[in-house]
Amino acid sequence: MSSRLMIEPVTRIEGHAKISIQLNDAGEVESSRFHITEFRGFEKICEGRPFEEMPGLMSRVCGICPVSHVLASSKAGDMLLGVSIPVAAEKQRRLVNYAQLLQSHALSFFHLSAPDLLLGMDSPPATRNILGLLERDPDFLRRGIRLRQFGQRVIELVGGKRVHPGWSGPGGVHRRFTTVQRDEILTWIPEALASVTAALDRLKPILDSFREEIANMGNFPSLFLATVNPDGGLEYYDGKIRIVDGKGNIFADDLDPARYFDWLGEASEDFTFVKFPFYRPLGYPGGFYRVGPLARLNVARFAGTERADRELREFKERSAGAVCESFHYHLARLVEMLHAVERIEQLMSDADLFGDSTQARASLNRREGIGSCEAPRGTLFHHYQVDANGLMIKANLLIATGQNNHAMNLAVDQAARHFLGRIVPGIRPDEGILNRLEAAIRCFDPCLSCSTHALGQMPLIVEWIAADGSVLGQIARRS
Amino acid sequence: MRTTLLIACGNPLRRDDGVAHEVLRIIARTPCRELRSVQQLVPELAAEIAGFERVVFLDADVRSMHPAIEPVRTAMPGSPLTHAANPAEIVAISRSLFGFNGEALVCRIPARDFSPGESLAPDQLQTMYEAASELERLLEHDL
Repeated sequence: MSSRLMIEPVTRIEGHAKISIQLNDAGEVESSRFHITEFRGFEKICEGRPFEEMPGLMSRVCGICPVSHVLASSKAGDMLLGVSIPVAAEKQRRLVNYAQLLQSHALSFFHLSAPDLLLGMDSPPATRNILGLLERDPDFLRRGIRLRQFGQRVIELVGGKRVHPGWSGPGGVHRRFTTVQRDEILTWIPEALASVTAALDRLKPILDSFREEIANMGNFPSLFLATVNPDGGLEYYDGKIRIVDGKGNIFADDLDPARYFDWLGEASEDFTFVKFPFYRPLGYPGGFYRVGPLARLNVARFAGTERADRELREFKERSAGAVCESFHYHLARLVEMLHAVERIEQLMSDADLFGDSTQARASLNRREGIGSCEAPRGTLFHHYQVDANGLMIKANLLIATGQNNHAMNLAVDQAARHFLGRIVPGIRPDEGILNRLEAAIRCFDPCLSCSTHALGQMPLIVEWIAADGSVLGQIARRS
Repeated sequence: MRTTLLIACGNPLRRDDGVAHEVLRIIARTPCRELRSVQQLVPELAAEIAGFERVVFLDADVRSMHPAIEPVRTAMPGSPLTHAANPAEIVAISRSLFGFNGEALVCRIPARDFSPGESLAPDQLQTMYEAASELERLLEHDL
């Protein structure tokens, strides 16, 4: 009799999701799926609203990466106005984007994934968390907390608020950057560089102990998509799109993000609310691709900052082609954090950042605007259509986590087939094995928009469900 | 002069869940009080409370019948389920990593309606003022 194993909710990710594993009559894994079970409907909510409101509205999509939505939305607004924004505004946006990359990656690495990496995939779940880290390695945890605090502080200083900063909008930004802000930011830099370097020094030597996980938690060839600068280097705010294949060869290049709909399609499946974007020339699902830290490091030829370039060269030596193991999203995240701190430091001595002019003023000049940037989890597109009065007719958001959706499904399926293998009815799978299925998802750091509070306790329930719907077995874990 | 950090936690777009923010608006600002509004508790707050002699977490509580101020309990095992933290975790981390040695309290404010919306339930107004009064009584001797 076939049955299904459910992991719900998936833990230590940003949002609510579940994993289901369909077993065949012999108890072997037949297929696995990652279900994103929350629905928010932001694209519908904004219809009829003035486009000037969009950055503020879109910021609310997420409490972790609101800056990405503010920036993509602001850039779509810039296009609607038909303006080129002042250089000071662009530099401020770049600065805050680096700060967000830093704080978001710090949360993912130090708080969500470090318990697996430092305490072990099989360590007791009751202590496989931030308090377990507090016991085992307080200095590591202190550094992680301070790094996130630094990123959040930069966002607050420049954007006015840590979460949902509203300083950027169509045409530029609403505040000037000051030397007082610069001086405070500079005081953080030495510690931040030392902390990211320490984390890299901590992670790289232990990767060998995760050989089985590296090989079986999302290790497959795919396309990788990211923004690059004109020289093919890392770029987070504005540039053309490059796609490389699993061998690291350039597959498509110089793609205009404002024409994303020409080369990206969006499929949907009935088991999840998140779409499945694909590279149109290859169709769905053959044209699936990965975005985010791993993709960016695979796509970019260089970082453009000294320390990050050194790490990037070492990273690329892990494979003759692209680095295809999703586990290495963790390492890529740290390299990007190092790059972000270096870029923040560079910007502090950039005179353009302090310019008086921060806003290009214009009225509506176009009826369609598209903005894109690199969010912590990957490339983000905002596409707006407005009427003659500037009221939103239609919005389409192409979110980074969605673009990794197919890859996440493949990753959990690969992990389930390898680690679970065959389940004997009545015998519970080992908790450490189930944790590996969740860890396969955590590599991607999916952001499922979790800014609302959860009421009471959220149980983690693993159930075996027979084809007739009866529950064959259950494991419950409570917060 | 005793310094206190008051941290209101909750989602103001979920009606009564945002009651702590409303209470914070009533609390008078003084040199010895710093007021902070957050949607949820996050780890870096552990670093930020370290400079204060007292921290009070204000939060909506579906189980409370009346506003109550009580000590933060000893750290419970951390939740494996989410990136959000609870006051006990924040205080434990702050004491251990950042040298916080002050008093840690939680102000529980009864709440019922967590549906989407910006306004509090009508009967929340009385509760809100009661909670603010409780806090003012606690803080009145700090100056």
